[in-house]
Amino acid sequence: MEQINPTRMELIRKNAQIKLAEQGRDLLRQKMDALIQEFFHIMESVSQSRDELERRADVAQHSLLIALAVDDPVTLKSASFATRRGVTLEIKGKNIMGVPVPIIEKKRFVKGLLERGYSILGVSGRIDEAAENFEAELDLIISLAETETSLRRIGSEIQMTRRRVNALEQVLIPELKRQAKYIEITIDEREREDLYRLKKVKKIIERKKKTQSPQL
Amino acid sequence: MEYAYVNARIRAMKSRLLGRPFLEQLINKPDVDSIIADLERTTYREELERAGVQFSGINRIEVAIRNDLVRAFRAILGFIKGGEEENLLTLILQRWDVQNIKTILRGKKIHAPASEILDCLIPAGELGEAALTELVKQPDVKAIIDLLATWGVPYARPLTRNFKEYSETRDMLVLEYAIDTFYFEHALSILKSRDTEDNRIIREMLVTEIDINNLRTVFRVIRDRMDREEAKKFFMKGSSELDTETLYSMVKTGTLEGALKLLEPTSYRFLSAIPQEYVTAEKISAFEKELDRHLVRKGISQFLGDPLSIAIPIGYIWAKYAEVTNIRIIARCKQSGVPDKELREALINV
Repeated sequence: MEQINPTRMELIRKNAQIKLAEQGRDLLRQKMDALIQEFFHIMESVSQSRDELERRADVAQHSLLIALAVDDPVTLKSASFATRRGVTLEIKGKNIMGVPVPIIEKKRFVKGLLERGYSILGVSGRIDEAAENFEAELDLIISLAETETSLRRIGSEIQMTRRRVNALEQVLIPELKRQAKYIEITIDEREREDLYRLKKVKKIIERKKKTQSPQL
Repeated sequence: MEYAYVNARIRAMKSRLLGRPFLEQLINKPDVDSIIADLERTTYREELERAGVQFSGINRIEVAIRNDLVRAFRAILGFIKGGEEENLLTLILQRWDVQNIKTILRGKKIHAPASEILDCLIPAGELGEAALTELVKQPDVKAIIDLLATWGVPYARPLTRNFKEYSETRDMLVLEYAIDTFYFEHALSILKSRDTEDNRIIREMLVTEIDINNLRTVFRVIRDRMDREEAKKFFMKGSSELDTETLYSMVKTGTLEGALKLLEPTSYRFLSAIPQEYVTAEKISAFEKELDRHLVRKGISQFLGDPLSIAIPIGYIWAKYAEVTNIRIIARCKQSGVPDKELREALINV
């Protein structure tokens, strides 16, 4: 407090700062509300996709188990040689209220009967079903990767915005207000002192005038 | 060749196959280790001990039963060595050669390590372990085909014929389809040359397999809504009951229900008994299970055929195959905690 100049210019500056901080706080609140809305919207689809993924993973594991049991793991591994290849995905980005979130290319991994690279005559439908279920699971995992990353980024942005709002609301604005109040009090005090001094001077002058005038 | 001697030996081997009560005993076991303990009291003991050096748990069982299967088939080939019957039986066992060649080609295409490819081979056919190892050592697909041609293996022919197309498209499907169809065409052409009882038995089994393969293709084509005209080229010829036209008509119905209706007058009408929920859900594995059971049952029923013919070795091959598959199903299901009811449904009941 001691470092603040209790001047009218300083008071004007402090009031401007308070206004700006309040404006900033309101804007950040609006941003947070929009982000929360977006967060819940994405969360709904994420929880649906997660349930779907769990269901799909169970089905895929079961079909794999049956294929391993009936067709022999070596037949399955042999078929996997035919289908083994890398997965390339294009990832772009977009902004949600200033938060960069990824957009992963929607590629369909569920392949047709002839696209898996092996002859349908030598591979059983059980292996096909297992492959198809895992391909469908991969589709879900990739779409979930996009939404979950968005969710995580929006979540951390909400946290950061909330911290900023709190800092403005709990620390900066009260501090600025306190400083403005101090300046106001100091200026008032000074004005009162000035007024008292002036009155005192006036009284002294008047008293002097009175003592001089009878002599005249 | 003396069928009386050979078939007596095979019947002795058959008597050592595990019956239904033993499988039930395995189903009632709580875990894989107790299944191993039970299997160690059977003919699988030797292979289990050998596999136990490198593997444990489910892998030990799978490696042991696979090796036992190979050993049993090699033993049968040893009994009938030298005669015309050996050639006939080899025709049946060559399916493993086809599978092994396809595995090696697939592995080489993706540059899989030799050890990984070798782990996926089952040397139950004409090509033994040494030959397969030599094939795996080849640097690429072309070299493998060339080596097969040098050895005079008949499967080099379709591969050589289709290699140009493969090298242009890099699509392994071209070679796989060629070798798969060639297996049946080649076998049927050999069987046609002589009209003996043995030839008739093998031909009947192969035709059943062709039918089953074609039906599986029909069901998968319908489920995947594949182009009907394109599907036509995947049908194998050789069956009189289910010729290409009948199969095409099944595909044209566009639904599994429609296809099943067309099977009513055939010996595959048993497929109509598949629960409607599987038909509606287009669960092809349910159809395959029934078809596999039909094939295995037909194979094993050869035991009831002429005792002085190739029917007995054929019956044994299928019975052994069914036994090994059933043990694997039980072990895998036990390991994954599959309920007994579901486990029993998965078994190839014979």
